[in-house]
Amino acid sequence: MRVAVTGTPGTGKTTATRRLEADSEGALDVVHLNDVVREAGFSTGTDEARDSLVADLDAVEGWLDERDAGDVELLESHLAHLLPADRVVVLRCHPDELGDRLTERGESEASVAENRESEALDVVLAEAVERHGLDSVYEVDATERSPEAVAAAIEAVVAGEREPSAGTVSFVDSLADHP
Amino acid sequence: MSANEGNEDRWAVAHVHASFNNTIISVTDLTGAETLAKSSGGTVVKQNRDEASPYAAMQMAETVAEEVLAQGIEGVHVKLRGPGGNLQKSPGPGAQATVRALARAGLEIGRIEDVTPIPHDGTRAPKSSGF
Ligand SMILES: Nc1ncnc2c1ncn2[C@@H]1O[C@H](COP(=O)(O)OP(=O)(O)O)[C@@H](O)[C@H]1O
Ligand SMILES: [Mg+2]
Repeated sequence: MRVAVTGTPGTGKTTATRRLEADSEGALDVVHLNDVVREAGFSTGTDEARDSLVADLDAVEGWLDERDAGDVELLESHLAHLLPADRVVVLRCHPDELGDRLTERGESEASVAENRESEALDVVLAEAVERHGLDSVYEVDATERSPEAVAAAIEAVVAGEREPSAGTVSFVDSLADHP
Repeated sequence: MSANEGNEDRWAVAHVHASFNNTIISVTDLTGAETLAKSSGGTVVKQNRDEASPYAAMQMAETVAEEVLAQGIEGVHVKLRGPGGNLQKSPGPGAQATVRALARAGLEIGRIEDVTPIPHDGTRAPKSSGF
């Protein structure tokens, strides 16, 4: 089974899945897709304005097809929902907290602003629902949640102990001051 | 593009924010500094789940259009943001409905720009990936 763990940068995907990875002592097969894109050079070019590689998703998909995946394969990245998966976890975080986290991580002001706006407008959630349908999407609010709690929520999705959900949070009010 | 567009005073910018759950429309002057009118889905429908519906968007667009027409605005450039802005089958279908309703209410429509933000962190998806 393949589970995608997606969400706007800063929602805590890498932190939570690293924890799961460590706790499972190798039993869980976690793929950090951003690392794969960077290390294998799966990009079609660079978005200079955003200082970001434009991922070549066909190449990533081909690479995933070839690899020897574990029984449970966790794809972790804000791109993970754009690939085939059985279940999709979408981590959410209030834009104010997301902004603080990204600033602390050292992201540029422009990058923080655009990711905040992406989160406020549900961009990743909407793409996930569009691609995988409401039955396969599991929205998890990671605002003011510890990495352990977020990891536990992901684990519950993997174990089939959580119902699908989407649109359970609304951060659109945080746009109020930005017409 | 319209012949009247030369008269900058009479043109404004309609910002459509179309999220999964809601649509917000605001109209500002061309600089974006002054808000001339604003409406959100919550103000025109009773059920939360209807806030992103095309119906809500059309209602809002009508109200907002009336308000800015009364202020002497004749046309708007449109900036669409959000998953409702560019995806045909998207769950936030408010954006397209909004543009049509603004036009029906008597506003001229100038440039329509999709300025949906792109999540990124050193990598990003190609445009319109997965659809
Ligand atoms: N649950 C959490 N609560 C508070 N801060 C967190 C949490 N998870 C991650 N962070 C912090 O937020 C930043 C982004 O986390 P990260 O896991 O890199 O997010 P992502 O992989 O989704 O971009 C990091 O600085 C991390 O330490
Ligand atoms: Mg990460």
